[in-house]
Amino acid sequence: MSFQGSQPVAIVATAQTQWRATWSQAQHIDLIAAAVQNALKGSGLDIRDVDFVIDSGSDVLDGRSISNCGFLGAMGAHHKEESRVEDDGLWAAQYGVAKIASGSAQVGLIIAYSKPSESDVSQYYRTMADPFIQRPVGLDEESACGLQAQRYLHAHQLTPADLAEVTVAAWRKASSNPTVELDQVPSVSQVLASPMVASPLTQAMMARPVDGAVVMVLANASVARRVTTAPVWVKGIGAAMDSSVFAMRDAQFDVCRQAAQRAYARAGLSAAQMDLAETSATSAAAELMTLEALGLAEPGKAIDLFRQGRDAGINASGGALPANPIMATGLVRLSEAAQALWGQRTSSAKNSRRAVVHASSGIAAQSHCVFVVEVERP
Amino acid sequence: MSRVAIIGVGQTHHQRRRADVNVPGLVREAAQRALADAKLEMSDIDSVVVASGPVLFAAVNQPEKWVVDALGARGKPVVRITSGGGTGFAGALGGYYQVAGGQADRVLVVAYDKLSEGALQASISSLYDPFWGREFAVGIMGFSAAYWRARMDKLGHTEEAAARVVVKNLSNARMNPYAHVRKTVTVDDVLKSAPLAWPIKLLDVPPISDGAAAVVLTREDLAAQHTNTPAFIRGIAYCAEADNAPQRSMLMSEPLAHAARVVYRASGITNPRRQFDVVELQEPYSCFELSYYESLGLCPPGGAAELIASGATEMGGDIPVNPSGGCQGANPIGAAGLIRLVEAAMQVTGRAGEHQVPGARLAAAQTGGGWANLRGLAVVSAD
Repeated sequence: MSFQGSQPVAIVATAQTQWRATWSQAQHIDLIAAAVQNALKGSGLDIRDVDFVIDSGSDVLDGRSISNCGFLGAMGAHHKEESRVEDDGLWAAQYGVAKIASGSAQVGLIIAYSKPSESDVSQYYRTMADPFIQRPVGLDEESACGLQAQRYLHAHQLTPADLAEVTVAAWRKASSNPTVELDQVPSVSQVLASPMVASPLTQAMMARPVDGAVVMVLANASVARRVTTAPVWVKGIGAAMDSSVFAMRDAQFDVCRQAAQRAYARAGLSAAQMDLAETSATSAAAELMTLEALGLAEPGKAIDLFRQGRDAGINASGGALPANPIMATGLVRLSEAAQALWGQRTSSAKNSRRAVVHASSGIAAQSHCVFVVEVERP
Repeated sequence: MSRVAIIGVGQTHHQRRRADVNVPGLVREAAQRALADAKLEMSDIDSVVVASGPVLFAAVNQPEKWVVDALGARGKPVVRITSGGGTGFAGALGGYYQVAGGQADRVLVVAYDKLSEGALQASISSLYDPFWGREFAVGIMGFSAAYWRARMDKLGHTEEAAARVVVKNLSNARMNPYAHVRKTVTVDDVLKSAPLAWPIKLLDVPPISDGAAAVVLTREDLAAQHTNTPAFIRGIAYCAEADNAPQRSMLMSEPLAHAARVVYRASGITNPRRQFDVVELQEPYSCFELSYYESLGLCPPGGAAELIASGATEMGGDIPVNPSGGCQGANPIGAAGLIRLVEAAMQVTGRAGEHQVPGARLAAAQTGGGWANLRGLAVVSAD
C-alpha cells in the first residue's frame, strides 16, 4: 500500500469563518457560502474550476436528514460531483485526496461546518453509544473523557493542575488567533474552579463547541503549480478506529498511534521531523494523550512540552480546546497548519516546513485520522 | 489510474423485519458473504466504508462506530459515507476512490438500513428546510407525486405507464431469492390500489425492508488473485443538483443526465440502449424508473411510456431493466444503491441465477437520493 503510481495532491487555498460560541445572525448556508467564497477569492481558481465537493456535517447536529442536500447551493456543488462524509472534515479531506490522486479530478473543495449552538451536543454524543449496553448506563462524552483522564493521570502521576496548565496554554494561543472569538484567557485557578463535569475534568478542561465553517481547496500538481508557488503537499494519511465498547479500549490511544504510524510511513517521515502539530482533542487529558500517540512525546511526558516551554509548535492556533466546531475540528487543524506553513500566522515558528494534523471522532476519541503535510518553498 | 474491480459481493435475504439480528448483526451478515465470495478474511481488508441512510432512521448517531466490532474491523480505517437514498452507491464510490487513489488495496464497502426500527417518513420529512417547507412536508412522497404529475401533464404519460413498471419489477422479483416481496399484480391492481399522494398509489410504492449489501473492491492487477469472475467498474459518478436551483426541471433528472455524460465518456458508451445488456435502477417510486430511462438515454426524452409499453425493458426484452425486481422487490434504503451495483456485478459475471440475463457482459447501475437531486451511475463489465 502506497501512494506509488498515484498523483500528488496539494492544498492550494483555505478559508475559515470566525469561530464563535454562537453565530446567531447567520444560518448554516451563510457560514458555508462565506467560507467557500473566501477560499476561492484570490486563489486563481473559481467555482467553475472545481470538479467536486466532499463535505462533512452531522444530520444530528443539523437537526435535518441528509442535511448536505439543503446546503448544495451554498457549497457550490450544483451540477458537480458531491458526497457527504459523516465524520470529521479531515476524513472528507482524505476522500478528496484519494479522488484527485486517482487522476479523475483536478480540483476539489473540502467543506466542513458546525453550528452546535443550535443543537444538543450532549445528545449528539449520547446517541453514538449503542442502545443496548452502553447507552442505558449513561455513557456519554463527558463521563467517558473523565474516566479516560482519571486513568491517564493515575498512570503517569499527573494532577488536575497539569490539565489546567494545558488548557491555559491552549486558550492563550487562541487569543492571538484572529479566527477564534474569545473573551478572556482563564487562569489555572479559574480552570480548576470551573464546574466539575466528570472528575478530574472541569468544564474549562473540555473543548468548547463553536459555530463556523472551513473550506480547503485541493488540487493536483499541474493546477497547484499554476496557482501557487508554495503548495502544501499531502505526504501521508493514516486512519484507525477503536472498539465501540469503551471498557475494551486501549488506555494509551493505541489506534491514534496506528493512524499516525500509517501516515508517517506513507510520508517516509518521522514524528521528529514535524515542525508543527495541530490536534483535535475534546479534553485537556486527551490532548496530552494525542501528542504522545503522535510520537511527539514519550508516554506520560507530553506535559513536559508545556512545562519546559517547548510547545510553540504544538497547536499554535490554540487547537481544539478553545474552539471545537464538532465535525469540522480536524479540517480546521489542517487549515491552520497550511496557513502556518505559508507564514500567514504570526504565532507560527519561522521556516516551519512540515506538520502533523490530527482529527478524532466518536465518544472519547474512538476514531482517529492523521495527515502529514509539507510545504514546498518557492 | 488503475481500474477497480469488484471481487466479492454479498447481500442479506431482505425482509420486512429482521427480528433475529440487530444492526451490527445485519451488517456483519452481508460483509461476511462478500468476504467469503472474495475468498478473503477481514484481516485481508485495508479499509472499510460503511454506508447507511439518515441516522434519524435508526436513532444511532455515527453507527459505523457501533458496527466496527461486529465487522471485526477494530484498528482499521472505518469511515461512513451518507447521501440519503443513494448512500450505498455513494459508499461504493468512496471505496472506489480509496483503491483508485492508492490509499488502500482491498476495501470492504457495506451498506444497510434496518427500517423496521424507525419512523421512516417522519425522518425523511426532516430533510425539508426548517424555516420554509417542513410545515407542509409529507415525507418524500408528496414531492415525488408533484414530480410525476408534472410529467403526466407535460408528456401525457399516464398512471398506467408507471403501473407497468410495478408489474414488471414484481414479476422479476419472484425470481430473486434476496427479494422479499413475492406477489403477482396486474396493471389494474396497481391502478385500483389506494391513492396515497395522487398519482402515487399504494402499489407504486416499494416495500420498507431490513437488509444489507457489501462489496469487496481491489485494483485490477490484484483481482485475479481472488476470483475468476471479477467485475470491472468502467465508469462511476454521483452528481448533485442544488435543491433551490431556479432552473431545476421536474421533467428530467438533470444530475443523472450529468452523471451519465461523465460515466459514458469514461466507459465508451455511445449508444446505451444497444450497448447495455442489462440495467439496474433504484426506483423509489414506480414513476422514477420512467424518468431514468430518459436521463440514461435508453429512449428519447419523453419516450419512457412508449419504452415500457413496448416490453423492451422486461426480461427477454432487448434492454432488461431491474431483473432483480429493483426496489419493488426489496427496499432497505441505505443498501438499495449498493444492491444495484451488486446485481450489476452478478449479471455481468453470469452469477445472477434465476434472474440472469443470458450472456450479459455490460451493465448499468443507477442510484438516487436526497430530494431527487442526488443521482449516480456506474458502468460495470466482465472485461
